[in-house]
Amino acid sequence: MASARDVLLLGLDFGSTTSSLLLASARLEAGGAGGRSALGTPVVRFQPDPVFTPYRAEVIDELALAEQIDAWLAPAGVGPEELFATGCLVTGLAASRSNAAAIAALVERRFGEGVIARADDPCLESWLAFLGSCEWLSRAEPARAVLNLDIGGGTTNPALGRGGAVLATGSCFVGARHFRFAPGSYRLAGLSAWGERLAGALEVDARPGEEMPEAARSRVLDAFISALEAMASGAQDFFATPPGSLLAQVPFTPGTLPADTVLAFSGGVGELVYRLAAGEAVPGTTHYGDLGIDLARRIVASPRLSRHLRSHVPEHRGRATVYGITLHATEVSGTSVHLPDAAWLPLRDLPVVARIGPGSTPAELAAAASLAARRPAGACLQLVDDAGLGRDALRHFAARLAAAFSALPSTQPVVLLCAGNHGKTLGSYASDWGRRGPRLIVIDELPDRRAHFCNLGRPRHGVVPVSFYGVG
Amino acid sequence: MHAPTPLARIAVPPPRPDETYTTTVLERRFAFTGLKALLGAADLSKAGDRVAGLAAPDEVTREAARAILSDLTLRHLHERPLTNARGEVDSVMRVNYDIDQAQFEAVAGLTLGELKDRLLAASPAAVAAIGRGLTGVMAAALAKLMDVHELILVARKLKPSARARTLTGVRGTLSSRLQPNHPADNPDGIAALIYTGLSMGTGDMLIGINPAIDTVDNVDALLRLADRIRRALEVPTQICVLSHVKTQLACLERGAPVEILFQSLAGTERVLTGEFDCTVELLDRAYQEMASRGALAGSAENWMYFETGQGSELTYGKHEGMDMTTCEALCYGLARRWRPYMVNNVTGFIGPETHLDNFEMIFSNLQDHFMGKLLGLPMGMAPCYTLHSRTGIEGHQMATQLLAAAGANFFMDVYLTADRMLAYFDTSGHDDQTLREVHGLKPAPEYLRWAVARGIFAEQADGTVERGPNWGNPRVFVASEAEWQRLLASLPAAHGHDNVGPRPANHVSRRLRANLAVAREAIHAELDLPVVEGIALRWLRTAAADKASHLNDPELGTRLDDELRRHLSPEGADVQIVISDGLSAEAIHHNVPDMLPVLMDGLRARNLRLGQPIVAPLGRVKLAEAVAEALQSRLVIMLIGERPGGDALASRSMSAYMAYRIEDGHVLEHAVRVSGNPHIRYEYTVVSNIYAGGLPPLEAGSVVAEKAARILDRRAAGNRLESLMREG
Repeated sequence: MASARDVLLLGLDFGSTTSSLLLASARLEAGGAGGRSALGTPVVRFQPDPVFTPYRAEVIDELALAEQIDAWLAPAGVGPEELFATGCLVTGLAASRSNAAAIAALVERRFGEGVIARADDPCLESWLAFLGSCEWLSRAEPARAVLNLDIGGGTTNPALGRGGAVLATGSCFVGARHFRFAPGSYRLAGLSAWGERLAGALEVDARPGEEMPEAARSRVLDAFISALEAMASGAQDFFATPPGSLLAQVPFTPGTLPADTVLAFSGGVGELVYRLAAGEAVPGTTHYGDLGIDLARRIVASPRLSRHLRSHVPEHRGRATVYGITLHATEVSGTSVHLPDAAWLPLRDLPVVARIGPGSTPAELAAAASLAARRPAGACLQLVDDAGLGRDALRHFAARLAAAFSALPSTQPVVLLCAGNHGKTLGSYASDWGRRGPRLIVIDELPDRRAHFCNLGRPRHGVVPVSFYGVG
Repeated sequence: MHAPTPLARIAVPPPRPDETYTTTVLERRFAFTGLKALLGAADLSKAGDRVAGLAAPDEVTREAARAILSDLTLRHLHERPLTNARGEVDSVMRVNYDIDQAQFEAVAGLTLGELKDRLLAASPAAVAAIGRGLTGVMAAALAKLMDVHELILVARKLKPSARARTLTGVRGTLSSRLQPNHPADNPDGIAALIYTGLSMGTGDMLIGINPAIDTVDNVDALLRLADRIRRALEVPTQICVLSHVKTQLACLERGAPVEILFQSLAGTERVLTGEFDCTVELLDRAYQEMASRGALAGSAENWMYFETGQGSELTYGKHEGMDMTTCEALCYGLARRWRPYMVNNVTGFIGPETHLDNFEMIFSNLQDHFMGKLLGLPMGMAPCYTLHSRTGIEGHQMATQLLAAAGANFFMDVYLTADRMLAYFDTSGHDDQTLREVHGLKPAPEYLRWAVARGIFAEQADGTVERGPNWGNPRVFVASEAEWQRLLASLPAAHGHDNVGPRPANHVSRRLRANLAVAREAIHAELDLPVVEGIALRWLRTAAADKASHLNDPELGTRLDDELRRHLSPEGADVQIVISDGLSAEAIHHNVPDMLPVLMDGLRARNLRLGQPIVAPLGRVKLAEAVAEALQSRLVIMLIGERPGGDALASRSMSAYMAYRIEDGHVLEHAVRVSGNPHIRYEYTVVSNIYAGGLPPLEAGSVVAEKAARILDRRAAGNRLESLMREG
């Protein structure tokens, strides 16, 4: 059953300051060595320089963005039908603009059914940044924790991982672009809503059109550094202070971090940090019209934050999010899923209504089925702790599932996601070999993601692409 | 550029009827009818020749045959070309007659015994000149008269060099082909193996990947991967992906970097054409194509790569009555036509049906090396073994020491000896370096300079070469530890990269050997299947009486025991399940208890009529056809243990072969039309890799049930089924 072919992946990252595109090819191994299906290490095929995210007034300029996408893709010569999966991420401040959803919809129109991953939630961003930047840094020392701080224009997205897997995520409003300047000067061009609140809490003088004093900038940067140092130590104290509480978006609560935790950076500011640490030239102050360069210099000067800048340099040195959305947002199923009719897919925006296990009682399974029944367009259940499910246990569990599903209409799509390689057998028994119950689809060999929603693409090359959002 | 002689212009004497050769040894009379019988009897007894009835039954008979052979002149052999079953000279034999006529005439009057003596006394240049006047059959006849020392002494005089991007085969060198095979062609795993090999100073002959998936897309991608790595590291060597010649030519057409063109050769036309889908004319075209459009066109002098090995003609049953050594020599006489860059001999690859034990494997390798060198080829040697023969790592290492003494041009580098894709065992990079150190040899000159510059080797003031500070450390080729770990994560059976001197560290060797021991045990374990969930099993016997005959004569396992078969009558089931240990009883023990109940549930749910499952120990895949014929089943699902490789867990891997008995009428007509085979009666669909680390048996049950139902619904299996499914 082994097969392999190269597939194309496209990632789009619309951030507060810049937007990026990445086209990569990866080898899709279906049922090869070890049996699992997987996307192999991608090779970047096309990566134009990032551009400033086009804004019109305070919203993203959709028209300009559409033109930009066309301008990017024309030299690549790739059509939507050639893409195995497309990921689109609207991050940081861009995600808070009023038309963020419209941007994602624009991408979906442009790339049709190829769009499998779409994200505008901060914890998914943290997760993707970790995988895009630190996955192999973390795997190289599997016993050691790695904390990645993805610092962009609007937010900092921390993610703690070990052995290449993400353990905890969060988000805070530490970002370079809350204070916008005329490039090359400190004349304030504007503040974000959080920038205004932070300036108020810190009692600093920040008025658009006027030069922001050095002392004021310092207080803002001090607050940012305090927040970053707090995250780097796993401490919560700072976020209980007035400025700290303003900066917190999704609390990052990893518990006490081990003393040898490796600290890494990504995002636009993270990229600058590594350039400075390597002694490379960086653009002049406020070249990007924000505090990014100043923040990067302060990070390098902080003993607590700079301790691993030279010993542990992550792959790509910063452009983690676009790598993450391109290379890690899409999971692939095993080759032996239970999918009686390929026309049942794709299914989009399926709510994950329950997490069940082989030990779930009939009442728990009935409750899960009842939740699924409220979503006639389809619902998803996540099966956890199913590794090593034996013959008898699998059949008993399937019988309980069949009983729970018996009241569901035959047209109701129900998707069961599981980690073990037993999708076809579990689905076959749970549906009496396709003769009873709802439209049951069992997608196997997927990592366990705590997510609220998932998308399932059409089967391609013998596997089903799956993405998650609403992580956390 | 060298132009091969048109086939029609190669003069071959007309075949003659077989003669009877007789002699008497101490009042015992011996008679051999025909040259084929004489040549077969004159060789050391080997498993393949014994199965073919060609080996001498005892030592005296063998010496009698050798005595007769010694007294035959070369002209006698020349005037009696060996023919195929129809009495014709096939294209392989014809090419063997494309010799230097002047050189032949100079020795034609010598007996083989006299020629052997001359070769032992002659200078290297004289031996090389004589070789140009000999056919493969003559080289084979000489090999049968020589002992171990003589095979080494004469071969050692010859070191044919070749030039592609780099020059190889220079005296004082021992090169290697780096073989970074991966079971799924994973680029990270392949890169990890290439870096590992290069760090041990291997790959100066070639970086050559055997693809797991022989499609144009995949081979193209692998060529570009190998090219990218070679260019990035600026390694002075050449690359190749060893797919079928037609696939490589299609890649060349797409602009892929085909530097060296590979093809397996055979000593008879029936195997070359019928099994390898290749002809002399095709290879002529491929040779010309590479000369004009190959990636090294214009600079390389040699660009063809051939692989051969004793026994393939015999295992296909198409050896035309010739012994294994003679068939092998005919491969060399054929290879010579295209002045190859390299020829690699893989005698031992097939298994105990051709070479039973270490001794047979070692001696055949020495013969092959001698014959290839005598016929002017840049011979590399891959003495190898499989776990179901009585060969092992010690025998393999003895073979390499003897072949290094004989001056082999190159060996393989298979990381820690276990090929992860082909489930066999070959020379490792550690072995290559050990042999270089023992025999005072160096890599090819251009490669050596590259390796010295990277600290892999260090050149001393007196010209000797030692391991450098970076020898054996593949991390020197990657940017970070993180990258190395990423690559390594895709590499199965990576037992460690720690080295002591030129050898793997003891803890690495112990892990390797423990895995081999477990895998070998899987083959020799007896099939013992308990009742599963009350499913009644019926036990049948194959024609193989015991484990030894099963391993040594694969054909026996394809047939039911004669007496038993007479008691079977047609049952007309839709599906008949047959369980056999094949080459791993452990595979059955670990998978069937979970898989069988699911499979039967899945088949019954589809309202298919099932025969009572059969257990047939000591079976082979084709037993499915014998069962289908006896019971008149529409489909036989054969659950059978696979040949174990070097990974303990994978030694429990089972396959499900679904043999569909093609119905008469329009289904048969369609099958004949699609396959181009007028005799086709069965089509196969296979689900392999069934084990805990691959497709788990629980899941395999429903997968196979679904495929079986599809086969019966569409009345087709294999490629024809796939094609019908694509058409909807």
